Amino acid sequence: MMIHDSKRGPWRAICATALAATAIAAIGPRGVALGTSGDEAETTWKIYADQVFTEPGNVLENCLLLVQDGKIKALAAGRSVSDDDDVISVACVTAGMVDASAGLHTGYTSVEQSQEIQPQRRAQDSLDVFDHRWHRQARSGVTTTIVSPYDRNVIGGLSVAVKTAGSDTVADRIVAADVCVRGAIGSLPSSGNRPWGRPTDFYQRRPTTRMGVEWEWRKAMYDAGFAAQDESRAFDGSAELGSVLAGETPLCIQAWATQDVRTAIFLKEEMQAEGFGEINLIVDAAAEAWKEPDLLVRSNTAVILPPFTAGGRMREGAFMPWGAAKTLVDLGIRVALSSHGAKPAGARLANQAGFAMRGGLTLDEALAAVTTAPAEMFGIGDQVGKVRTGGAADLVLWNGTPFEATSRIVGVLVDGNLVLDPR
Amino acid sequence: MMANLSNARLRSAASAALALLALHSVSSASSADTFAIQAERVHTGGGQVLKDATVVIADGKIVSILTAGVEAPQGVDVIEHEGDLSAGLIALQDFSGAKGENHDSTRTLMPDADLSHAYHPDHSDFERLLSEGITSIVLAPARASLVGGVTAVVKTHGGRVLKRRAHLQLSLASSSLRHDRFPTSYAGALTEFDERLESEQGAFGEAQAGKLPVVIRADSKHEVQRAVAFAQEHGLKGAIAGASRSGELAASIRDAGLGVIYRPFTLGMESRSLRSVALLAEAKVPFGFGLEAPLRHPASLRLSAAACMRAGLDAKTAWRALTEDAASIAGVESSVGVVAAGKDADLVLWSAEPLDLGSSVVAVYVDGLRAFGGDQ
Repeated sequence: MMIHDSKRGPWRAICATALAATAIAAIGPRGVALGTSGDEAETTWKIYADQVFTEPGNVLENCLLLVQDGKIKALAAGRSVSDDDDVISVACVTAGMVDASAGLHTGYTSVEQSQEIQPQRRAQDSLDVFDHRWHRQARSGVTTTIVSPYDRNVIGGLSVAVKTAGSDTVADRIVAADVCVRGAIGSLPSSGNRPWGRPTDFYQRRPTTRMGVEWEWRKAMYDAGFAAQDESRAFDGSAELGSVLAGETPLCIQAWATQDVRTAIFLKEEMQAEGFGEINLIVDAAAEAWKEPDLLVRSNTAVILPPFTAGGRMREGAFMPWGAAKTLVDLGIRVALSSHGAKPAGARLANQAGFAMRGGLTLDEALAAVTTAPAEMFGIGDQVGKVRTGGAADLVLWNGTPFEATSRIVGVLVDGNLVLDPR
Repeated sequence: MMANLSNARLRSAASAALALLALHSVSSASSADTFAIQAERVHTGGGQVLKDATVVIADGKIVSILTAGVEAPQGVDVIEHEGDLSAGLIALQDFSGAKGENHDSTRTLMPDADLSHAYHPDHSDFERLLSEGITSIVLAPARASLVGGVTAVVKTHGGRVLKRRAHLQLSLASSSLRHDRFPTSYAGALTEFDERLESEQGAFGEAQAGKLPVVIRADSKHEVQRAVAFAQEHGLKGAIAGASRSGELAASIRDAGLGVIYRPFTLGMESRSLRSVALLAEAKVPFGFGLEAPLRHPASLRLSAAACMRAGLDAKTAWRALTEDAASIAGVESSVGVVAAGKDADLVLWSAEPLDLGSSVVAVYVDGLRAFGGDQ
């Protein structure tokens, strides 16, 4: 929401606010903490950008932003750059990015493997907020991530949306809990399960083939469907799967290859045909989703793409061309890009947006794929993904046009905290 | 094998029949019901050091501490020690005499397994503990255990179990989450613990009712955070065992009313971990050291305290961590940890200041019995 320019000018009002704040305590260029209450330090920032991309399709030119108490206090377009040394001046500002599949779980300990079907386990119980990877994500412009259990189960548990910086307390970092039920189709949930060791080894009970994985999925969904109709048939996790069948909690399935994408969609359609409900389906790491456009459109399935690779080859023997995102977006399919925990500096989420543009996406489409699209997929679109007055101050500061090869992220704010300082 | 008590002499309080009595005492002082030790410096506890004081011992207990110039009662043999005397050291989390017997790999949850039945009191492990001045240990289940049982506080000489069911030991460390049985995840372990606490049965029930403290193993910082939150949610008291960096979460540990048991430090330990110990001390969180002998050398206990002092921990707190704070965490502070009247006569004679790594153990008494060193 922009403040309209008028004769008096909204910036004057903003300055007045700032001056009032100055009276309480000086706001230095380093965002000197204002009067602190308890342990919380309040911080104020003034940012000037040639362009502020408030959301895909909407740009404010020559815009001043006021950030206060972790929120965007005001936006004022059409201003000239101030010679006030308190202002951070950059080329462009976008909303903080949302990584739909960042792989920031704690590995094997994040997923309960003693049973194949564990929809009730919560990824937030396994979060490690001290992991150095959060810092890496935050500095690369990702301000919110979806953390899912490691994909070693058929159904691994409930994912959580988490800010990449801020408090050291898990509860304070959570944007939204239980944003989806997470599972996997493909070779991962069936690999490493062949019998070994003692005869009591539970791996013997695990599926060892894709067919077995699919059977586990179908059985779990049928069981949950029956449990929804008959309370006496309830089991651990049936409530969570019931919520999936009712379309209330999205179902996010990792499926790299075409056959796995198909299995996921057929599962959704079978449940629908059986009258159990309509699943809100998201396929993650769906490198070959582009090969099944009709199925995706027909089932209204959302897609999270894995990181692009130079040759297009990726895990599970899948192939993803540069144009994959473009193909899907043009069909009206909801598409999010992801980093999948990629470590190289050139493979992070912002780079993925650039790669997708190389494949044909426009800037607005690429911006949507790393901000509003993933946020809306997981039901947190009203909290993150856009630059708006009163919203959380999750911002990415650029020294040029976002996602261009010649541009760089020079600053990042998460809830008003400057985690990457452009000065 | 036994070190010679070269700088301790025996002196009879009764001047008559000196030679005869002395001869008699040399052979029987360690088993005499009443005797006394005079040392150049007596570290009573709390940082207090008495010069040339005499500790009078009867029936395995400390009867009194006589300041310099006060003679021991008539007829009491006095061992004269040219050096320091202190309370025996206490190792929290130890496997001595129980290695290979303190973990059942086919059972994940054994809340009522009793560690006091896992150990052999005459095992040679104990001689090595005594040689480093350690007189009490908390027997703990092996690190692979998830719910390994209830710990026991035992003496390192004489086979005395000072306290059975000292804590219920749980683990929220990844090293206890194996891939071949339930649970494999933090979430699975937490769910299981929650259900057991709600059932109010056995050791879990006692812990829930506040009658049995817990020790929760947690290695990395996020595991400590999770363990503290879990303990706080259920109102459990006790200590977090493991995490070298737990000092960075000192405030939340203090607010939860918990203590900390470190794994033994080495002098080469990362400085961030060592510095964080001082943060714990600042927050007034009680802490002590685990030893994990026989997997670690018993000297690691005193080395741990020295490593922390190199990183800025004050000597008084370091000493408390080895003795009285450790006793509190083990729940045996009424018996051991300080040199005071009424306490067990667990005493160590040192060649010099005990926190000086150049000093060595000259003799050790456990429950008034000479357990190590001294004249033969």
